[in-house]
Amino acid sequence: MASRTVLTLGARPLGLSHNLCGNLTTLTGLEWSSVCVQQVRYRRFPKFVVRPTTRRPWHVRKWTEKKDEFLDKSNEQFVREVIADKYAKTSSSPLKDGPWERNPYLRGTRRSGVLALKLGTLIHWKKDGTPFTVTVLQVLDNHVINYVPPEVYATYPSHCPHQGLRFGLQVVGSLSCDPRQFSKPYNNLFVKAGVPPKRWLTRFLVTPDAAIQPGTALNVNHFKVGDYVDTQGRTRDYGFQGVIKRWGMKGMPKSHGTTKSERKMGATGGGGDKDGIWKGKRMPGMMGNYLRTMYGLQICRINTRYNLLYVAGVGVPGLPHTFIRVSDTVLPRKQRTEDQMSSVAMPTWFEEDEEDPLPEEMFVDDVFQFTEPSLELEAEES
Amino acid sequence: MAASIAQICVKNIRSFPLRQIDLVYQQTSCVCAFFSTSSPLSQPKKLKHVINYQRTHAEVARALRKKQNFLHHEMVDKHRASPLQSGTEQVSEKTGEAAPRDYRFVMPEFLPNPDFRYRDKILEKMERQDMLRRRAVIDIPEFYVGSIMAVTVSDPHSPGKTNRFVGICIDRGGRGLQAYFVLRNVVDGLGVEVMYEMYNPTVHSIQVLKLEKRLDEQLYYLRNAPLEHSTFSFDMQPVTLPRDAPVPVNTTKVKLNPKPWEYRWERFNLKGIEPLELTPKMEKGIKAHAKPWEDYDLMLKYRQKVNEDEEKSIMTEVFQENTRIEGERKSSRAVLRRKK
Repeated sequence: MASRTVLTLGARPLGLSHNLCGNLTTLTGLEWSSVCVQQVRYRRFPKFVVRPTTRRPWHVRKWTEKKDEFLDKSNEQFVREVIADKYAKTSSSPLKDGPWERNPYLRGTRRSGVLALKLGTLIHWKKDGTPFTVTVLQVLDNHVINYVPPEVYATYPSHCPHQGLRFGLQVVGSLSCDPRQFSKPYNNLFVKAGVPPKRWLTRFLVTPDAAIQPGTALNVNHFKVGDYVDTQGRTRDYGFQGVIKRWGMKGMPKSHGTTKSERKMGATGGGGDKDGIWKGKRMPGMMGNYLRTMYGLQICRINTRYNLLYVAGVGVPGLPHTFIRVSDTVLPRKQRTEDQMSSVAMPTWFEEDEEDPLPEEMFVDDVFQFTEPSLELEAEES
Repeated sequence: MAASIAQICVKNIRSFPLRQIDLVYQQTSCVCAFFSTSSPLSQPKKLKHVINYQRTHAEVARALRKKQNFLHHEMVDKHRASPLQSGTEQVSEKTGEAAPRDYRFVMPEFLPNPDFRYRDKILEKMERQDMLRRRAVIDIPEFYVGSIMAVTVSDPHSPGKTNRFVGICIDRGGRGLQAYFVLRNVVDGLGVEVMYEMYNPTVHSIQVLKLEKRLDEQLYYLRNAPLEHSTFSFDMQPVTLPRDAPVPVNTTKVKLNPKPWEYRWERFNLKGIEPLELTPKMEKGIKAHAKPWEDYDLMLKYRQKVNEDEEKSIMTEVFQENTRIEGERKSSRAVLRRKK
């Protein structure tokens, strides 16, 4: 058994060495109860599977179980009204300082994204009669919570050094909630933006010229019809699954002398030089609930009334009502052309940009609209 | 607890004679020390795993099972209706003239998926809107399995660029924009079946030549019946029914061909075929595959159906919109006639 015993003290290593130099007698005087005698085995493979039970110590505590016991029903209603008044009235102008400077969209600009809710899939037709599936995403109640400039972001542990000072962080939240169910440090995250605390937060890497002022509302007009987006979310959680469902293995025959191994994986490795179980051997285990991205999906229709994005294609991860991060695509072939760059909403869409109110529905050119007459197909030229 | 013990002690001290005071002090000294260090309010010790019952059932469920990145559908609707939410409109329910009771048999494709995990109010609303828009462009009449229909579709390879097919509707299914029906006819002595999507934009017209019902929900057994039962003339003239007459039911019984069949029809409990001569083996199979308990399985029926209130509100909306569309169509026809 490959294992080793490590003797560590409760104090951090740096402090320990300092103490050792200063006074050796403190070490000898310590009792055994302050020493950790725990076996540390070799680390598992794969190393970086983040299970949902993993705690993130750098996040503040979100939920609280404290509640005011002196509230009765009439007070409860009153408190709700106060909360609604406080946030609904200030939401018109939460920006204390003046609006930030707006820059044009350039080749290397990366804008913020939005946090959408996956609703489900529908079928649509193109104007040549071919059907295709669209995934409907709703951009519900999005606000920008914070912006971290690149200089500050460079000091964060999550910063990738190869990116240098190219990106800052844009924190975006969705779904406003009653602040009483959240902890105080979590509620404090939203004080600067002046918006009600959000159920869900995410962050996007943005270039500084596309930074959005905290407190700004994001909606579906952040994108235009015909844009290509990346959608990222967590796949559905299958739990612990066997090898047939998880990796698509064949299993074994059901009869001809086989017993109790219909759904087993067979051999785990070879012999000779290639013996042993190699790292990454496909085995049963937890399946699903990982972050997956679908790159370069086209927005083929937009509904501005209900804030719906119709994204062409299947495979947007997760069951319906999963949160999806939607942002401009990073695929080089699907970037905007020079003439499209002038019409991009930078850093995001504001209501005062539009002279006329936008139409309720917007379609890509080659998608069939249901108000149009039936299609008359032409034979293809051979 | 500590406070009460201390009070008792004080009372005892007052009542006891002087000799016993020392004894009492010895017994209660520890309790008194604890009392003095604790907070004046003497709060009870906080339990670790307390569930906040102010949250809804959905929220509690979420807190108990750490399912990241996923929201219960009740919570989604709650957030849409929240006073803190702004910028997105809510779906309003239509009131007014309700649909007839059996309207869900007329428009079955408007009923949503009964599985609540795949339901969403706004998505269903948008899908219904698209379907009704399509219905305003082409006339999709009332039909049932067993009706004889004619469908014209755009076909770039046919001589007139359109293709017309006549046949008996042997199946109808799908929901939403993916609703379909299957027509069957005999062409040059060969049985032909075509599946049409009702909302496909290449469909130019759907016409019901003879409106009637059959005894079964699917007529796939016509594949194993003599061809005369599924032969219909392409020049068939539409049969008109008197107004407000009930849809007639065709009670003809079909005599199936001898085996081999496509399926074991004796197991399907079909009403539209003549009684079969059952062999002992067939009877054994019927008995083995029968599910008599399903008639009494209330939960199964509940899961397969949409909630009645929701069905009513959906059908009311569809009915009102459909009557509006038909009214507009009639008025436009009258205008055309006048122009002629």
